[in-house]
Order: sequence, then C-alpha cells, then structure tokens
Amino acid sequence: WREKVGYNRKLRKIANPTNATRSLQDSIFCSEDNSLYFTYNGKSNVLEVRDLSYQVNVASQIPWYEKLAHLEMPWTRATDKESHMVAIRNMSFKVKSGQMLALIESSVCGKTSLFDLITCRDYGGKITSGEILINGKPTTRQLVKKCTAHVREDDRLLPNLTVKETLLFIAKLRLAKISDSERKKRVEDVIAELRLRQCANTRVGNEYIRGVSGGERRRVSIGVQLLWNPGILIFSDPTSGLDSFTAHNLVITLSRLARGNRLVLMSVHQPRSDIFQLFDLVLLMTSGITVYSGAAQDMVQYFTRMGYPCPTYSNPADFYVDLTSIDRHTEEREMESKRRVSMLAAMFHENIRHFGDHLWRSSQRDGMTPVSEPSSPLTLEETVIMNTHSDDHLPGWLQQFTILLSRQISNDFRDLSALLIRGFETLLMSLLIGFLYYGHGKSNLSIQDLSALLFMIGALIPYIVILESITKCHSERPVLYQEFEDGLYSATSYVSAKILGELPEQCFIVIVYGIPIYWLANLSPDPEHFFLNLLLLMLLTYCARIMAMWMSAMLPTLQISAFFGNALYTTFFLSGGFLISLENLWIVPSWLSKVSFVRWSFEGLMQIQLKGVTYPMTSGNVTYPISGTLVLQTMGLHSYPLYAIYLILVGMTTGFLVLYYLSLRFIKQKSNQDW
Amino acid sequence: RDREIIGKSIYIACIKLPKNNSSSLGEHGQMVVIPNNCLSVLNVSYTVRERVGPWWNIPSYNKKWNRQILQDVSFHIESGQLMGILGNSGSGKTTLLDAIAGRLNHKTNFLGQVYVNGRELRQEQFRNCFSYVLQNETLLSYLTIEECLTYTALLALQKHSREFIKKKVDAVMAELSLSHVANSVIGSRIFRGISDGERRRVSIAAQLLQDPKVMLLDEPTTGLDCMTANQIVWMLSELAHKGRIVIITIHQPRSELFQVFDKICIMSFGELVFCGGPSDMIRFFSGHGYTCPEHSSPFDFYVDLTSVDTQSKERELETYSRVRTISSAYKNSEIFCTTLEAIEEAKCNVKELPPVPFKCEDSPSVLCKLCILLRRTTKNLSRDKIGIIMRISQNVLFGLFVAFFLLRLNNDFLKGGVQDRIGLIYQCVAALPFTGILNALALFPALRAVADQESKDGLYQKWQMLLAYIVHFLPFSIIGVALYSVFIYWTMGLYPEVSRFGYFFAALLGPHIFGELLTLAFLGIIQNPNVVSGITLLLNIAGVLAGSGLIRSMEDMPTPIKMMSYFTFQKYASEILVVNEFSGLTFTCGHFNVSAGVVSPCTFLQGIQFIEKNFPGGPSRFTTDFLLLYAFLPALIILATISFKIRDKVILRQ
Repeated sequence: WREKVGYNRKLRKIANPTNATRSLQDSIFCSEDNSLYFTYNGKSNVLEVRDLSYQVNVASQIPWYEKLAHLEMPWTRATDKESHMVAIRNMSFKVKSGQMLALIESSVCGKTSLFDLITCRDYGGKITSGEILINGKPTTRQLVKKCTAHVREDDRLLPNLTVKETLLFIAKLRLAKISDSERKKRVEDVIAELRLRQCANTRVGNEYIRGVSGGERRRVSIGVQLLWNPGILIFSDPTSGLDSFTAHNLVITLSRLARGNRLVLMSVHQPRSDIFQLFDLVLLMTSGITVYSGAAQDMVQYFTRMGYPCPTYSNPADFYVDLTSIDRHTEEREMESKRRVSMLAAMFHENIRHFGDHLWRSSQRDGMTPVSEPSSPLTLEETVIMNTHSDDHLPGWLQQFTILLSRQISNDFRDLSALLIRGFETLLMSLLIGFLYYGHGKSNLSIQDLSALLFMIGALIPYIVILESITKCHSERPVLYQEFEDGLYSATSYVSAKILGELPEQCFIVIVYGIPIYWLANLSPDPEHFFLNLLLLMLLTYCARIMAMWMSAMLPTLQISAFFGNALYTTFFLSGGFLISLENLWIVPSWLSKVSFVRWSFEGLMQIQLKGVTYPMTSGNVTYPISGTLVLQTMGLHSYPLYAIYLILVGMTTGFLVLYYLSLRFIKQKSNQDW
Repeated sequence: RDREIIGKSIYIACIKLPKNNSSSLGEHGQMVVIPNNCLSVLNVSYTVRERVGPWWNIPSYNKKWNRQILQDVSFHIESGQLMGILGNSGSGKTTLLDAIAGRLNHKTNFLGQVYVNGRELRQEQFRNCFSYVLQNETLLSYLTIEECLTYTALLALQKHSREFIKKKVDAVMAELSLSHVANSVIGSRIFRGISDGERRRVSIAAQLLQDPKVMLLDEPTTGLDCMTANQIVWMLSELAHKGRIVIITIHQPRSELFQVFDKICIMSFGELVFCGGPSDMIRFFSGHGYTCPEHSSPFDFYVDLTSVDTQSKERELETYSRVRTISSAYKNSEIFCTTLEAIEEAKCNVKELPPVPFKCEDSPSVLCKLCILLRRTTKNLSRDKIGIIMRISQNVLFGLFVAFFLLRLNNDFLKGGVQDRIGLIYQCVAALPFTGILNALALFPALRAVADQESKDGLYQKWQMLLAYIVHFLPFSIIGVALYSVFIYWTMGLYPEVSRFGYFFAALLGPHIFGELLTLAFLGIIQNPNVVSGITLLLNIAGVLAGSGLIRSMEDMPTPIKMMSYFTFQKYASEILVVNEFSGLTFTCGHFNVSAGVVSPCTFLQGIQFIEKNFPGGPSRFTTDFLLLYAFLPALIILATISFKIRDKVILRQ
C-alpha cells in the first residue's frame, strides 16, 4: 500500500485537481429536475439498532433437496461449530426519517441478515444480544408491515403488463379505501417521482421478453412498494447488475425519496466513486463488525485521522473495503487483517461513544444538526400533500378476486406467442392420433381400436397440460410469494382467481385438441355425444392442471415438481385400466386406480361412444351385432353411470383444489429459487 | 521450441524499445531479454447488417440497417505490456477482441488489418497465434486441476513425451500459483470445488500450456470479488512482463489497478476514444479540461465521461457530441501519431522483426485425440456419483414402478393375459428411449459447452468429443438395460427361456441408446435443452403411437402413417418383442374347456394367432428386424455427427 500511496503522491503533482471538478462530474450525469412529486407525510420514523449481535447457522439453511444432491440424508444436521457464523456483532445505529443509510460490506451475509431481522423475517438465526426498535418500540411483524417496505435485489414483476398497469393493479389491491381518481392520481405521482413517464405504457418484460430497461424495471419494483407510501424503505443491493449511468440515476432517485421525508436503508456491493459521493450516511462493515458508520463525506477524514489516508485517484469505498476486508489467502495475512479489523473496530467504538446516534461526525460540525436532516420537505415547490394516510385496510375477498382475475387474464393474453406454441403442440398431437385412427374409410373402427383411441385421447392431453402448467406456475412463483409476504391478498382469493383465470386458455386447448380428433376418427356424429365428449375432456384437463398446480405449490423446485408430477401422472396412466386390466391390479394399485383421472376419463369416453349402440363384432368369419353395453360390461367399464363419472371427476378436481389451497396457505416456499 | 530459439537470435538484431511508454515499463523495471513481438491493429471497422424489427412485424423485419460495431480502431502494443480495454456494455470491447483473434462471423463486413510483427495473418493462422480466454469458463467439473491441465496438454502437445507434459503442467501451475490446489476437484454450480478465482486461473493456465505470445482475455475479472479480481489482474501483468502481449477487456476495474496497466483503451460506441499509458491518460484528459476529481477512480470517471447516455434525446446528443470531441482530440494528439508511426515502422522493418510467434502445437492424430477425450470423459463421469447412479439405476427404478402395478403375468386370456403383455411391451418400448433422453439432457450440455470452447481453440473438433461421449456411455447403457431386463423378465414371468431373454435384452438396448443419440443430434443444432426435451419427448410418443403397432395395428393405419412407421425404431423393437414373447405361448380361457369345442369368449388361444393378426409375417422377419433395428445405430451416429458439423457453422455465425 505504501508504495501505491507514494506513487499517487507523485501523480497528484501532475494532475492538480481543481474545484471545478465537482461541477464537471455533475454535468456528466444528467441532473434531472429535482422536484418532489410524491412525499411521505406520516409522522416521522426513527429506526434504532441497539448493540445487536446475531448468529446464523449456515448448515440449517441448506434445503433438504440440496442435501440429497450431495448424497446426504435430509435430516442430518451439521452440528460442528463452523456452521455457526456470527453475521452481525455489536451493531448500533439510529436513523431518522429523511436520512439515507448505505451499508457497505464485501460479503453478503451481514447485510441480508440485518434486513431480514429488521423486517422480522427470520431464517434460522439467533439474536444473541441487543434489539431493534422502530419509533422506540421493539419490532414485531405487525409493526413492520405497517411502516416498512422491502425492495428485493431481483425484480419480481409480471412481464406482460405495462408499467402503469402493474402499478395500478397493485394500487387497487393495496389502497382499497381511496377513490378511483385518487388512485390514478397516486399512480401518476409515483411514476413521476420515479421518472418513469417515458416508459409508462411499455411492457415490463423480463430476460426473455423485451420490455423496459433494467434500471427502469428496478424502479418499477420500487414503485410497487412506494405506492402505499411507507415511511421506511429498505433496498437490498439496488444497483447490482446496472450500468454506471443507470446505477447513478437510481441512487439519485433513492436520495430524492429520502428527501421526501422517508427513511431509506440500502445495501451496496462495491459502490463506484460517483455513487459513493451521493451517499448521505454510510455504515462500513466487515464480517459483521462495524468499522465505520457516519456521514459519507466524513469517512475519508475519519480514516485519515486514524492513520489510513485514502490515496488520490482511488475510490474511498473500494479502498476502505479492501483495508478492512479479511484476506483468507494465507494464514498470516488472515491473522494480520483480522488484527487490523478488530483494532479499527475498537477505535471506532471509542470514537463514537459520545454520539447519541452512533454515527460519527467530523468535529467541525459537532453539535450542529447533521447535514442530512431534512429541511422541512413540505416547503418545497410542487410538493403533493397527501391527505389520506395509507392504511392497512385491504379490499374485501370479492374485490381482491376480481382484481387478481383481470390482472392474470391481461398478463396471460399478452403473451400470445407462448399461447400459440402451446396450441400448435396440442394440435400436432391431436392430428397425429386422429390420422392414426382415421375412421372415414371402408369400415368403422373395431372395438379394440376404438378403446385404444379413446384411452389415448384421455391419456395424452393431461401429459401435455401437466408439463406446461408446472413450468408456468414456477415462473409466476416469485411474484406470488413476494405478494404473499407483503400480505397483499389472501390465498383464497388467489386460488379462485387463478383457477378461473386459466379457464379461457383451457377452453382453447381443449377445443384445439378435441375437435380434430373427433372428426378425423369419425366418432359418433350425434351432437350430444360430441359435447359430452368435449365436456369430459374439459373436466379431465382441469383436474390434471390443478394437480400440476398442487405439485408446483407443494414442492420446492421446478425439477422436483416436474419429476413428481410426472411420476404421479405415470401412476395414473398405468392404473388407467387399458394397458393393464383393472382386475389384475393387486390391492394398492387398484386403490390408486380409483383416483386415476385417466381411468375415469377412459370409462366415461367409452360409455359416451358405446352406450345404446350396436356394434358389428367379427369372430372368425361370422359377423354378428353386439350391443355396446355388453362390450362395456365385459371390459368392466360399466360400474358407474355416466353422470357419476362426471361427478367423480368434479370431486377429484375439488380434492386437488383443496390440496393446492392447503399447500399455498401453509407451505412457505422461498420465492427466489433457481436450483 | 525451435521457433523460439530462432526468435531469440533475431531479437538481438532488433532491440526496439517502446517510445511512448518507456516510463511505465521502467517503473516495473522488468525489461528481460526476450524476443520483442508486437501486435498492431490498423483502421479496423466492423459492421453488422441487422433486421430492424422482430419477425412478426413483416415490413420492419424486411428492412435491414447497418450497425457500426467497430469504427476505425488502431493501436499498437509490444511484448511485455498489459493492455486493458474499458468501456460500458455495448461499446464494442468484446468485438474488438474477436476482431483481433480473427473470430468474427461475417468476414466481409470487416475492414482494416491486424499485423503481428508487421505481417498480416492468414485466416488459419489466427487460431495458432492468439490464445483467447472467454468470459465464462467451461471446465469439466469433476476433474482435478492437474488432470484438467494434463488432458488439455495431451490434446495440444501429444507429440511430446510424458515427462515433458508433466513438467509443463507443473510449471504452468507454479506460475499461476495453483500448485497447492493441484489435486482439488474443480466443482460446479451445484457442488463446491475450488474458488471462483482459482477456476478463472485454471482456464488461463489451460491456454498458457501452449506458450502463446499473445493472450486475449474477455472480462477475466467479472463475477469475482474485488480482492481476487485484483490478484488476477496483477498476475496477468506479471505474465505480460515475462515477454507476452496481454490484452484484456475489463468492466469496472478498481482504482488501484490504474497503475498496473501499461496501456489503457477506452471504447465508446465502437470508437477508440483513447489509448495510451496511465500517466498519458491523466495528462491527456487534464489537458482537455477534464480533470479527474480527487477521490474518484479515474477509470470510472473517464469511462463515464466518454459514454453516451440514452435516457433522453437531448442527453444523448449532448453526451455523444462530447465523445466526438474527445475522440477527435485524441486522433490529433501526439499519442496517436506515435502509435501510427510505430505501426508503419513495424510494417517497414518486417525483415528485422522475429517471425510470427505461433503457439506450440503438435496435436496428435484423430484416433489419439478420441482416446484422450474418451479417457477424460470417463474420468469426469467416474467421480460423478449422482450421474453414475442415475445412469445405472434409472431403468431399474422404472422397472420397479411397472412391477408394482403388474406383479406377475398370467396366461389366462380372460384375466387379461394378452392385454397385460401388450401393456408391458408398450411400457418397455416407450420408457427406455425416455430414460435415454433424460440422461442425455442431464449430462451432455455441460460437455457440449466445453467442446464448443475447446474446438474454438483448435484442440479438437466437436464431433470428436461427441464420438468420445457416445463410446463412453455405451457400457453404462448396457449395464443399465441389463439390470432392467433381468429384473423385469424374471419377476414378471415372461417366456421362461434363456435365449429369449437374450433377444429381449438386445431389443431393449437399442431403443435406450437411440433415445440418447436422437437427443444428442437435436442438442447439436438446438441450444436450449428445454426445447430439445420438448421435441424429443413428443417424438418419442409419436414414434410409439405410429410405429409400435401396439396401440393401433399396422394393417389398419392409413398409408402415409404406415410409410412413416418404417422410419421409427419402435416398429422393429416392438415387433421383435411381440414375436419373442407370443410365439409358442398358449393361453387358457378361464373355466372354459376349449378343447371340448365350446364357443368361448376368447378370440384366440395360441400366441401365434395374435402375431398373425397384428404382426403378420413377424416371425419370418425376426432377423431382418434385428438388422434394421441396429441399422439405426450407425444412422443416428452419423446424423448426430452431421448435426455437430452444422453446429460448427451455427456457432460461428452467432
């Protein structure tokens, strides 16, 4: 380091920095209009973390399926000491509304745990000492829900809605009490505040679908939380994955939010120098130990006083992160850096003892109010005064249901290409089977062929539907579980909206599948039979779809749900009564066959086609007519009347629905899984 | 090695000290006597013709426009220098590296020259001169570092002796300080191995084995934490100072690396805005009124200064005009003039400069390569416990599933003796290709990525890797299917005769392998494994439906489908299985005593009657069926090879 510092001194002579540089830097980044359109007007909040220490058990956070992949039994628990890690050690700070605090740490652990603790989302750690207070009261889930919003590091948005629609739907779900026009106004304000006007009517998009840019998408995520106007905003790594301009503009946005009398807490990973200069307060920590917390512009001064000046032309954030990070490459360097960190931490502790809020200020400004104290934001021009305070009053069940339903339908139908691909796939399957059993020729299909055809009709469509439905549910999952966490709506209204919202697509698929086969195979031309056939297919696909939804709600990853979904389907397929005769099944599979929708659809389809029809039967060279009912009886497919089969299918659908509901309600899946 | 010695002797004749950046070299004080190679890039431009709109918007799709990706780029760099190319995403950094390495797709849109020691390179020489480390390292995850490097060395330098290769690998590992982890497994996203920084160094080491004199690295620090990233760059600068030319693109470098680079290039919208030493850079920008503020990283500051903000029209115009001003100032500056002079000088003094420094390459014969690849793939799989368990037990698991439902076959027609047998054969014919498909989808894409990269480096061709893969999975397929057949055949009670069991096994082995081969063929031309999985699963179902004749007897099918069924392997496999099982089989008919001549509900009692009805002429075609079934093996291998040949072209075009 000394070498570098020396060299940089030499450079300083050459470069001779001037005062004009600051304004130059401003001119590089666009200075948009600085007015506030949407401010927080509730009572101001104080967040205080007092002497907090927190320990996480790393091993217990590994989910069971990952353990299985390592060939370990899922119930083994690592009990060695290494898995217990101190994530936060003796952390204290106090921030008020109007301030923005940035946490800088090179590793991820401490920051995430702190945010999880503040938002009362505990993932298997243990608070060993200290407490977190909001407005002087210890945090509880209810309190947190009322006043804090957490914006995660990944964007969880429905890709096919426009920016405005996204916000409007959330506003409807969140702000039930205010009138429609007020709600529209609020959405407009949020869009203006986040500078999203130019893309308000563009699709949000995701990595596959073209939409707004990455920075804009991040701001939409912020907007979703901003709508209900919380007093405390928490951002995990808001700048990660954005390029320099976007990141800079985003941090400007965040500091503007803070100026609107909100309390902003964010974590950053390797902030660039221009971003660092935008920070108001920073907290520098390394493996859970606070090394500095206080005004950002005083950080260099503080460390200089401690004997570590920041060299010219280097980014203070980078420099001090490096200075305090623990180098694990060799043992002696690790020891040395650990010693340095503990020394710095002790020095810092000593230095802030007389500051009430545990934030360091340089001595010149001692006693004065910190720069970050908001100068009453309401005097600013163009300030919108919100009269109605957002309350946690959610809309009723029916209202939630209609909002969710219209949201889902508008999201699904924008994605026309996916729908067309699915339709095309189904059509191909239908044509293949139809041509295989082409029935317009000289003779009608024989009984064996007819039963094979009807079995295949009923067995193939669930297969396609299950595969496609599990993938779809998993792609929607991040949005769903985040909104559950935020308490936007109940599982009941989601389930009802979801199953009704799938109906149009369902009809489309069944029609595309059912009609070509029916016509090509020349099945019974009676319209009543045709519609009964379609209705049965409809019920069958619905049942399969809800089973798939249940699988994806119950199991943690896409692969696992796909595997078990497939296995369950194969079970139903094998016990369907065609490939293996039902009488030959021993006791357990014959129970299974009772809940096999493939079996019931086969039985139903056969009854529709054969009941009341006489069929020519060839034996040797004698042909004699035989009644369809007799055929059904010999095949053992006449155990229940037709209406009962419909009822059984409806009952099974309901059963899966209940299971789906229970899994959604009681199994908390993590929303960010890409294993 | 001979070339190196010649290079050294020529070097004495032409010691050429770099003029414009002697200071930065002096600081490191590491002027070792080495052949002084130089690389010059002169007036390189590159455009791509792109369609304006997406495919469904036909009018705009038919319109094309020229996108300028590189515009008139020139620079000159000599041995012992590390050059960093900076710029925001989309500024053309990677394309510039591609251009230098001769890896651009549309050669026709490429203007300008790349000289090495004053000589222009021929197309096939590019690969042998530059070594290129890509951004995302693709390594086989179950090999140790030492094994990984040794296999690469064997592929590249097989003509040398074993000791030479061992020494070379050890030397390279020592140079990149990997010796202490030489025996650690590399690891992947799913299971932990060596750290990210070490992995990056392994991919650099793999290139160093061939002693390249010019190294190009695309974003070697992305995704690493700051410490490790710095260490990589320091290490690269050391490599450069040992007489190599090292060029890297880098995104958001840390400020303390500023002095490590001997040359820094800033790219913006395809233009080279600046290229020169660090102190030149500060002088140049300060001279034009852009002084870097004290506590900010010059990298960040200058990159921001020269990038174009597209948030709004006015901002775009404003920033763009600033970029133009700076780049024209650079074109008029002294630094740029000296660059051009250096290039001219190199071109004029071609005779005095050493010959083009090629990498050591004595690649072995095709057969040797196949052997090495086979050994490597096998070694990689041998440590993959889950992979092996999956390959061997998947079929048996499936068998258990079927056995759970069927328990044991019976011979009673009325109790479904025929129906159950057909069901079982149907499951066998449908499930074994299916497991093959799953295997290929789970295990091959990782190897494919490795093959893509190493074939670009010229180590081998993609189809060679494919053949090695096919050979390596065959034994596993045989074991897997054998276990399945033994289990199913004897627990279910199929025709109890040992030779028939042999036929049963042989008829199932084929489809299992073909499922995997078919998937490989699709993986050659389609990148996304999910799409391939959709296609192959549907093809599998379609093949069983149309080909097997179990669901619908062949005779009743419409002619086009009958024709199509001749191209499905399921047709032959199921015919063999049906004939194998049903010929000679006699069924009973419940309590009816058939011999008494009573009219019974059973249509037939002899298995042969069933064959004659549904597969007429089946027994006589038994041998032919086997021949035709196994004719699919070479056919599918050829198909897969062709698909990977096509892949060469597809990858080149991307």
